[in-house]
Amino acid sequence: MTQHSAPSQQSTWALYAPFVPVLLVFLGSLVFALAKSSALERDMRIAVTQNMLWVVSQTQMELMALTLATSPSDRDAGRITQRFDLTLSRLNLLQQGPQARYLEDLGHLETVQGMTAALLALDPQENGNRPELYADLFRLSESLHPEVNRIANDVMTTDWDKAAARLDAYRGTQRLIILAVAFAFLVALAISWIVLRNQRKLHLSELRHLRASSLLEQERDISSMYRDFAALVSHQLRTPLSLIDSAMHRLARKGDDVTAKDVTERRVIIGDAIGRLTRLVDTVLLLAKLDNDQLEARFSPIAMNAVAQGIVDEAQARHPQRVLRLSSTDGPLMARGDLHLAGHIIDNLVSNAIRYSDADTPVELHVFAQGFEVACAVTDLGQGVAPCDQPHLFNRYYRGHAQKAGDGTGLGLALAQELARFQGGRISFETWPGKGSVFTLWLPVARQAEQVAS
Amino acid sequence: MPTLRSGFFCLALLSAPIAVAADQPILTLTGAVQDAPLTLSRDDLLELPQHDLVTSTTVTDGTPHFEGFLIRDLLAAHQAEGEVVVARALNDYQMEIPLSDFEEFDVIGALSMDGAPLSPRDKGPIWIVYPRDDHRELQDIRYDTRWVWQLVSLHVQ
Repeated sequence: MTQHSAPSQQSTWALYAPFVPVLLVFLGSLVFALAKSSALERDMRIAVTQNMLWVVSQTQMELMALTLATSPSDRDAGRITQRFDLTLSRLNLLQQGPQARYLEDLGHLETVQGMTAALLALDPQENGNRPELYADLFRLSESLHPEVNRIANDVMTTDWDKAAARLDAYRGTQRLIILAVAFAFLVALAISWIVLRNQRKLHLSELRHLRASSLLEQERDISSMYRDFAALVSHQLRTPLSLIDSAMHRLARKGDDVTAKDVTERRVIIGDAIGRLTRLVDTVLLLAKLDNDQLEARFSPIAMNAVAQGIVDEAQARHPQRVLRLSSTDGPLMARGDLHLAGHIIDNLVSNAIRYSDADTPVELHVFAQGFEVACAVTDLGQGVAPCDQPHLFNRYYRGHAQKAGDGTGLGLALAQELARFQGGRISFETWPGKGSVFTLWLPVARQAEQVAS
Repeated sequence: MPTLRSGFFCLALLSAPIAVAADQPILTLTGAVQDAPLTLSRDDLLELPQHDLVTSTTVTDGTPHFEGFLIRDLLAAHQAEGEVVVARALNDYQMEIPLSDFEEFDVIGALSMDGAPLSPRDKGPIWIVYPRDDHRELQDIRYDTRWVWQLVSLHVQ
């Protein structure tokens, strides 16, 4: 029964297949954002250590200090040496590593090299501390100021350009990161949607599966019901038929010796058997019509007490030894229903009362009106209905636990209830185990106009 | 003429003979140190245990080879007590350095780079050098500013 089995491994995969690329896209965009922001972080770390402008301004300042130290008014050998060294150290710094590359890009590296060479040509430590040398140094350092200023200007402009370009790049990267994260968010939404949809699908397929198995169960129930039904009906048919058969055999054996008494005895037995057969066929036919929506009824005002009287008379004829009593209240007891169906129901209730009570106890019928209903209550002094049987009393094929095997079809009360409902009425019951029961048929009261018309 | 690297450009070539005489005072210790203030010559500093340190810097290419003394050895030798050292350079550049730096990292006062004594015409006579390549946290502008070159005095407080 593979069509009813749970969703296979394969179909589960099919449910989550779209999930895989979407998940990859989600992770991909997150990884992209991560890589971009990591690159940004690295770039900022490098950028912040480049401080060319500071180096150039230091050079400018030291050159200024050297100019001051060598000015004619204020010359001190020690100070001039120190300023000379410091100026050289700054120029030297400008010609190292990243600074040298920076200046090369600007086309100023040769200028700085030339400045250094020019200064070194006037090195006081090489050429002795002479006032003429100081005067030459003073003029040289003064003449270098404009060049250093130009370098400083270019560096500043370049730094700003670079900073602006870097900010642009940062902004671009930031935008990319925001886009990537937003995209990842959308993808996450898509994933959630897929997961939810798949869960719903799984849920639905589980439901379908459950429904399918419950349908199967129902089918099994129905088929077992038909089996039960066939078994019951054949039993119920065979019993009266064999009664008739044996009665006819006895008569046949006696041949010409048959007396009028013999015939009367057999006639009663056969009549009773035929009555049972007729009622069984009637019940089965009614059930079949009811199940196939083919039950035709002629609704009209019916006198409930008259119907009950008819049933009591018939039952009395079948059971001459039993005490059957019918009483009814005064006033109109007209119900609206089908005469034949109502009779069938009351007959069923009376038959049950007779069957399930001792032969020496009476069965009483009482017809009365209450509210908008007309009722026929059938009371017996039998064993009552056991509590465990009460909830199932009107189920088809249900037979009480105390019943002897083969006794009753389990259809009678179920059919009676269904027929009562078919006519807009119902059957209710009260029971006192060990003491007796009251089963009551309720039918809607006939409208005044109809009563007058009839 | 000592051996020199080409990377120094012409200036470095010519600055080499300008190295300060070994017995001249090049570093002044002040503040919370024994017998403050005291001055130290290159010879004094070379008497401390010498350490090698190969590291990249923010202002040079490659990984120069530095030689010098551990700052914590110098401070210990003079019973320095305090929280910070104010390092001052030839051009009056001044930087406060927490003493914990010298405990946590092998920070040296470099006296030579790639075998040549540091000159005052370059980063000499002393350059405070951090083991930048060995510790990622030192690769940060806040530590870069503590690399005081042309160091002339340390004030402990």
